[in-house]
Amino acid sequence: MEKEKFEIWMMEYLSGELDDTDRDDFENYLKNNPNERQVFEEAYGLWNGIDLFEIPEHSKQMDDTFFERLHSEIEKQESMKLNWFQKFSSIFDSIQKPQLAFGMLLLGIGISAGYFLNTKPSKEAIEVVNASNTETEQVREQLVLTLLEQPSANKRLQGMNEAAKLNDATEQIIEALFATLNNDSNINVRLVAIESLAKYVDTPEVRMGLVKSIALQDSPLVQIALAELMVALQEKASIESMKDLLQKPDIDTTVKQKLEESINHII
Amino acid sequence: MQELTNNALMLKVKSGDLDKLGLLYERHKKRLFGFFYNMNSNTSLSEDLVQNVFVRMLKYRHTFTGEGSFTAWMFRTARNVNYDYYRKNRIAFNQSDVMNVAYKLEDSENMEKGMIQKDDISVLRRAMHLLPPEKREILVLSKFKEMKFSEVGEILGCSEGTAKVKAHRALKDLRTIFLQLETR
Repeated sequence: MEKEKFEIWMMEYLSGELDDTDRDDFENYLKNNPNERQVFEEAYGLWNGIDLFEIPEHSKQMDDTFFERLHSEIEKQESMKLNWFQKFSSIFDSIQKPQLAFGMLLLGIGISAGYFLNTKPSKEAIEVVNASNTETEQVREQLVLTLLEQPSANKRLQGMNEAAKLNDATEQIIEALFATLNNDSNINVRLVAIESLAKYVDTPEVRMGLVKSIALQDSPLVQIALAELMVALQEKASIESMKDLLQKPDIDTTVKQKLEESINHII
Repeated sequence: MQELTNNALMLKVKSGDLDKLGLLYERHKKRLFGFFYNMNSNTSLSEDLVQNVFVRMLKYRHTFTGEGSFTAWMFRTARNVNYDYYRKNRIAFNQSDVMNVAYKLEDSENMEKGMIQKDDISVLRRAMHLLPPEKREILVLSKFKEMKFSEVGEILGCSEGTAKVKAHRALKDLRTIFLQLETR
């Protein structure tokens, strides 16, 4: 057999690209050809030895850097889109009836888009979109968790914005949101955490977590925001927490007034 | 199905849905990191190069056509990133290579004096390190699970048969270096 053909055959065998019949053929060929068998044996050990090279785990820093870069790239793209829209709409400033012209243009775009998009997507395409949506949710969750751990309050606020885009939150995300609400040093971040958690008030655990959080807060703004949320939810269980807070000697007078009002509204 | 969604995701990135690059990163970061680590044995450098691959994929997303395999396109980008790094740091890199190998050989002699048992895998790793980069590269790519020689050929810009022959010759050269190191 030609040397090159044997080399190709051997690599196919080593890499597992041959089916069972071809593998048997190759092994039988080696039995009858000691020279090629020697070449094979020399290569076999090394080929398998490469699999034993240890690859260390990459650091968490690699993921953090990637997602931060991606996030800033997305923000840059969004601000560019906005600038483009502003430039585009300035074209209509010189037209006497810009609303009319702009309306006509939008109508035209709408009709064209409707015409081209009015095709039923294939089952496969729907599956692909569903699979990628699930993965997007997973990546977004990871992004939220990463951003919430950042030392910069601005980054943590970005994390909250990403959390608001989630369709459904996992237990891990809810825990992270509560950890932020109860422990974050920045009042704005805590206020946004209340807004994010308010999306999930249908879950009893979230309602109870919010009730418990009232007594843990030291900022009047956060206390008032939680009290307002409790009134909106008509959460009777929160009365006890609010009464506990009222007992504290250093309570702000505005907060005191708000809490008393809230208790009366809930009762 | 996986390859189809890889292509579909990259096309979405191309059309402006940059979020999807996060999914591709999660899917391929380990393989890319393994590729670079096997090429340079340096963890932090490999992490930087993985970042550079995704930065470049984002920058040149308009060149992705969706034809052919996404993995092959990604690894072609990874090769370019690796070459560029070598080219830019040529002097420093070669010097450190030579120093590294000299140190390792000396170290191996000491080890053999002190310990009778030889660590074949560590010798094999050193032999791999001494292979010319293009040969090391083909072995690293061929050893990836789920990577067929047709894809290796697509990455290297040659036919499937040529990729197999190249891999065989790289393996042969690896054996020669391995035996030289063992007899020292």
